[in-house]
Amino acid sequence: MAALLLNGVTIDPTFAEAFPMKATRLVITAHDIAWARHAAVSATGLATSVIACGCEAGIECELGAEDTPDGRPGIAILLFAMAGKELVKQIERRVGQCVMTCPTTAVFAGLPPDAGEPVALGRNLRFFGDGWQISKVFQGVRYWRVPVMDGEFVAQESAPVVKGVGGGNLLLLADDTDAALAGAAAAVAAMRQVRGAIMPFPGGVVRSGSKVGSKYAGLIASTNDAFCPSLAALAPRSELGEGVRCVLEIVIDGLGEAAVADAMRAGIAAIVERGAHAGVRRISAGNYGGKLGPFHFHLQALAPAADGVP
Amino acid sequence: MNWRLVLRQAPALRVDGRLLSPAHLRALAVDDVRRVALPSGRDRIELGEWFDVLPGEGDDDVLRIDGDLSRFDAIGGGLHQGTLHVRGDVGDAAGLGMTGGRLLIAGDARDLAGCAMRGGWLEIAGATGDLAASALPGDIDGMVGGTLVVRGRAGARLADRMRRGTVVVHGDVGDFAASRMVAGTLAIGGGCGAMPGWGMRRGSIVFAGAAPQATSTFVDVQSDAGVFWQLLARDLVRFGPPFDDLPRRRMTRLAGDLAVQGKGELLVTR
Repeated sequence: MAALLLNGVTIDPTFAEAFPMKATRLVITAHDIAWARHAAVSATGLATSVIACGCEAGIECELGAEDTPDGRPGIAILLFAMAGKELVKQIERRVGQCVMTCPTTAVFAGLPPDAGEPVALGRNLRFFGDGWQISKVFQGVRYWRVPVMDGEFVAQESAPVVKGVGGGNLLLLADDTDAALAGAAAAVAAMRQVRGAIMPFPGGVVRSGSKVGSKYAGLIASTNDAFCPSLAALAPRSELGEGVRCVLEIVIDGLGEAAVADAMRAGIAAIVERGAHAGVRRISAGNYGGKLGPFHFHLQALAPAADGVP
Repeated sequence: MNWRLVLRQAPALRVDGRLLSPAHLRALAVDDVRRVALPSGRDRIELGEWFDVLPGEGDDDVLRIDGDLSRFDAIGGGLHQGTLHVRGDVGDAAGLGMTGGRLLIAGDARDLAGCAMRGGWLEIAGATGDLAASALPGDIDGMVGGTLVVRGRAGARLADRMRRGTVVVHGDVGDFAASRMVAGTLAIGGGCGAMPGWGMRRGSIVFAGAAPQATSTFVDVQSDAGVFWQLLARDLVRFGPPFDDLPRRRMTRLAGDLAVQGKGELLVTR
């Protein structure tokens, strides 16, 4: 299959290979959006990759007061893990240490109760109340009220866990660092408009893309030498041609296959719209030959129609 | 088939009406419906003695009963599905132990309405007597689930020993409302008698009408409970005035009853 050229940008005839994950959405509200953001940023910190973080997490969107259960501004975050058990542990740890501790916050499930298997959200955190905690059930949904020093911390008892998709990705091959950063930032900005998807790395972008395995025993991942510009002339599997001096990757996790595809589509469209003269000349993706992950996102199928590109 | 029962004459003695349920009658032919025997005193008397049995309209899961049923006790008792719509007054223990479905009473209900209720929706357009949503004599728990709505006033000992669920009274309530309450929510739209929340361990009483005379075993809590209040107030909006503007009102919280566990609360709005 030939490469596709759109507005000067080459779309490789390849696909991103993604995996099933366990996922949930939480809604964090607070007295104002700044405190909600503090809690959300903290709760989604050190959650870039399941390789060593336990989960991948990120801010999905900000919510207005009219969209939250308690009428306060809030932030929706998404958390993904490889196994339900690990996700349960991560939810409890992160909400307990980063949300309950943050002034004025409350936390709610962001998915409908029947969306998936319920796991503990406030169910165990309530014991921080040392016996002073009280609960209330509204139309079948239980909430816990834990006395804390600024009043009370309210947490929904449980949050449903659903099947998610993790590992969608785009590789942006650029002339130089400035062009790669600008292109990646534009793509991430467009992708953040898609609901149900997050880009868990710093600023949504990862520069240390990895391949599975290593020459060193015990390492489960190592640098993606095929896309390292410094190894273009050295690594036998290099995918890089002349003029590529910087490659950045955007990794996408979504609540479903459609969310990941929509985010990738938005990212590709943003790069194509900027055109090759902006410095990102090629878009590729990482995969394992299609043998490991059941979700394959073919870049050319997600690219905007050629005749719609200026 | 659904049926409409029209009362021809009131019975001389009290009648246990719990067999008058949509689920029980819809499977029967008209003659079988007339032969359903209802306990009355020491006898069982066929329904046809008192009611005309007519075909109903609409949904099969609806049973309509027209007339003054104030001598019929336990109307809707054990109801678990369907809708029982009574156009008139009913006797004691309406909705006794119901677990689901809807019981709609267009008139008044006497004592013990919603007693030992476990689920479903019981709505009384008029007033109800004492001990609504409370426990049966000898039982530990009162209402343990479902929703009781009283559009008129409610008598004394409302929600005594209530453990779960929601009770909403649009009018006044009598003395000892939510006495010995274990948990759940009671919302009062009108005035309140003496000793509200006496002996309550947990649970919430919302006063959307006049502020109550709280006893000395309730203490003022000045900390912020705004999140919980918004969740509760927004849940009560669906019951209409005077609860529809609760989210916009300021709330004062009193914790008690300190004579027992003290984790209950009186939520006074203004």
